[in-house]
Amino acid sequence: MRRRRVDPAAGARAGALPEAIAALSRSLPSGPSPEIFRRAKFDRPEATSALWQLLFRVLSPLPAGNALASIALEVQARLVKSALCSQGYPRLALAQLPEDGSKGSRELLLALSWLLARGPVLEQMLAQTRVPLGDEMTVCQCEALASLGPPAPHMEAEGPVDVRHMQWLMGKLLFRWRQLVSSQQEQCALLSKIHLYTRGCHSDQNLGHLSVTEAEMLRDPEGGQKLLRTLEHESRRLEAVLAWRRSEPVFWQWMDTVLGTCAPEAPAAASQPTFLPWVPECGDGELELVVRELQTLEEELREAVERRRVAWEAKARGCGRGPEWSAARRASRETVEKELGALQRCWEQDSGPAPAHGPHRLVRREDGAAGDRDLRAAELIRTLRSQEACLEAVLRQLQGQCRQELAGLTGALPGLIWIPPPGR
Amino acid sequence: MLPADCSRRLVAELQGALDACAHRQLQLEQSLRVCRRLLQAWEPTGTWACEPPPEPETNEEDPLPACTPSPQDLKELEFLTQALEKAVRVRRGITKAGERNKAPSLKSRSIVTSPGTTASTRPQSPGQAGGHASDRRPTKGLRQTTVPAKGRPERRLPSVRDRTRAGIGARAPRPGAGLRNQHMAPSAAPQAPEAFTLKEKGHLLRLPAAFRKAASQNSSLWAQLSSMQTSDSMDAAAAKTQFLRNIQTASGGSQPRLSAAEVEAEARRLRKACSLLRLRVREELSAAPMDWMQEYRCLLTLEGLQTMVGQCLQRLQELRAAVVERPPLPCPVGRPPRASPSCGGGAEPTWSPQLLVYSSTQELQTLAALKLRVAVLDQQIHLQKVLMAELLPLVSAAQPEGPSWLTLCRAAHSLLCEGGARVLTILRDEPVD
Repeated sequence: MRRRRVDPAAGARAGALPEAIAALSRSLPSGPSPEIFRRAKFDRPEATSALWQLLFRVLSPLPAGNALASIALEVQARLVKSALCSQGYPRLALAQLPEDGSKGSRELLLALSWLLARGPVLEQMLAQTRVPLGDEMTVCQCEALASLGPPAPHMEAEGPVDVRHMQWLMGKLLFRWRQLVSSQQEQCALLSKIHLYTRGCHSDQNLGHLSVTEAEMLRDPEGGQKLLRTLEHESRRLEAVLAWRRSEPVFWQWMDTVLGTCAPEAPAAASQPTFLPWVPECGDGELELVVRELQTLEEELREAVERRRVAWEAKARGCGRGPEWSAARRASRETVEKELGALQRCWEQDSGPAPAHGPHRLVRREDGAAGDRDLRAAELIRTLRSQEACLEAVLRQLQGQCRQELAGLTGALPGLIWIPPPGR
Repeated sequence: MLPADCSRRLVAELQGALDACAHRQLQLEQSLRVCRRLLQAWEPTGTWACEPPPEPETNEEDPLPACTPSPQDLKELEFLTQALEKAVRVRRGITKAGERNKAPSLKSRSIVTSPGTTASTRPQSPGQAGGHASDRRPTKGLRQTTVPAKGRPERRLPSVRDRTRAGIGARAPRPGAGLRNQHMAPSAAPQAPEAFTLKEKGHLLRLPAAFRKAASQNSSLWAQLSSMQTSDSMDAAAAKTQFLRNIQTASGGSQPRLSAAEVEAEARRLRKACSLLRLRVREELSAAPMDWMQEYRCLLTLEGLQTMVGQCLQRLQELRAAVVERPPLPCPVGRPPRASPSCGGGAEPTWSPQLLVYSSTQELQTLAALKLRVAVLDQQIHLQKVLMAELLPLVSAAQPEGPSWLTLCRAAHSLLCEGGARVLTILRDEPVD
């Protein structure tokens, strides 16, 4: 405070930095105190473990829970290193830090700042732990039937398994799908009823009725108290993030100075320390499948194209070679190029008006009127129906392909009659 | 029997799908429990705002020994009830006027809340009422616009009262039942407190003021955050890019390696490319050209598609090389959900949730059913591809002799061609010699 009065310009800057750091500390979940940041600048060892833990929280793909807290520091450190590596973090010094938390706080501070500079990390973390006040439905399919972590070890088959076991598992899956459908229908009916019965209650005219969370809060006041506390806690963190955003530039200037105190690193040796990737890429398995698909496609195309090219050349030799002929051919070429270009653009760029990610709050309105930024259920239904049709076509096509192949493999045997199951 | 590694992979995939479904089912069931509870009669926990907490417990045991009150008691009770009713009527007139004037304080709200007991409790046990209103039920927002003149039995006889209350529940054949009838007769109003159901009184609910304030503050903060996000100040953005560049140059790393996220995004794009290309190829191959021009165009298209497929394959091989081979990591924190291929990809998320408006139960159900259907189809297509990759080679490689081969064929047909839903029949038809 006194500094500010003495020298306004520099004082303002000096005052702003502690504020910025304090805001940052408040906006991070169980964030380290501002003191830690200051110590990290001077590479003090006592700041190291707190920063490892913070980085772990930030980089962990799952929202924080008690399970995360119980992981040992060494494991956390290792996972942080691999996560940073897979995100493309350039500094090698971090990779070489000891994992017991004995030193390296300055490197960790740099890593944290790198993450903060690259994306809206704080907002994302807040969004992950947001208190949903309404009944929400996600519009995109990102987490629809998301596969969870690696399968429990005891579930994995040890040795060869009879193929009928697969049939049994598949049957179980079909049943579970049916169960999901009926449960979901019931849930929607109940939700709709609750919305209907509480219309006219909400203080926000836009919403008009209570959500399940809000009604539950009224029914169970103690739970409501908890909800209120969480809500207020979240608001405090939001305020901290806003304060941080306002005072950001000062922080980045300071980080530049921190970076300046580090010795420049030598260019990497050829071999980089290998890390086990944190994000086990849907990885190799998925890529394999796509490669194989494309390879089969390539084969098929190669055959077809050869055949047709030969046939065409034979035919083309028969006709004349007039100017209209070559003009027609050129026109065809151009059309085809344009079509194929459009096709390529389909996957090169993400589809133009991408549907908004993230959850939407369900609101029941008899007239179905919606504002500009709101989504209407009817439109979403249309989009989903076309998606459904597309996917069904793909599935049918795959099944047809299998049918052909199996028929080819099995049909030639004498003494057996293959009776297909009664069709739909 | 399937070979061990093939078995392992298939079981893992199917089990993964089963687990995902089970997880979703669990979520649905939790939500269903909550919804069902909300639609039933609400436990009157908050309604008895003025009731001292130990009372319910003691009342459970209490009535049993002291069963039948004497006729003397009954008569006294009746007089008392009538007097109290009058007091209620008088009080109600006063409190209603008073309530409208002052700001809805917690005390008045909770007192108005308990139907009819207001007047009786205030003169008798103000301490209880006050204490409880302020700290126990601040969030209870149930405001009844009309306070029906219920002949509430007095609080001084908790045992009786409890019997009354209990009598409403399933414990009808209690000795107190008769008492209840006697009591209730003089009062004009219906039985006591109810069974508050959402259906009848849902529209009377009001959210508590504290919550309303917190919620509006919260949503305005989120909105501020969104707007700040889009209009990132020039200084901040410039400072950030400068810092990133500085780190890059100061570090030993050669050039920015492809991050895992980018690899995934690229893989997703290529997957999409693959399905689009395949569909297109099918179209072209099945089209019957009418004339030479069409035939020529078809040929050119196929050739063009061939080039594109080749390019995609090349890009994929490059990606695979970039993703270094590693043994699977026993990750304690699990992995992030697999982004479904139908999803368009990450658009810039807005932080405050927008609205999704629906107009009828039917519409909501259709929407949810379609969403689930698309997710299930995604899962099914993925499994189909995995099964194709594993089973078809086995069938073609196996020796066509013995019953085990037939089992395999039958299973393969069922899984691959009928989605596991139907099975074909194989009839052995030995030629008659």
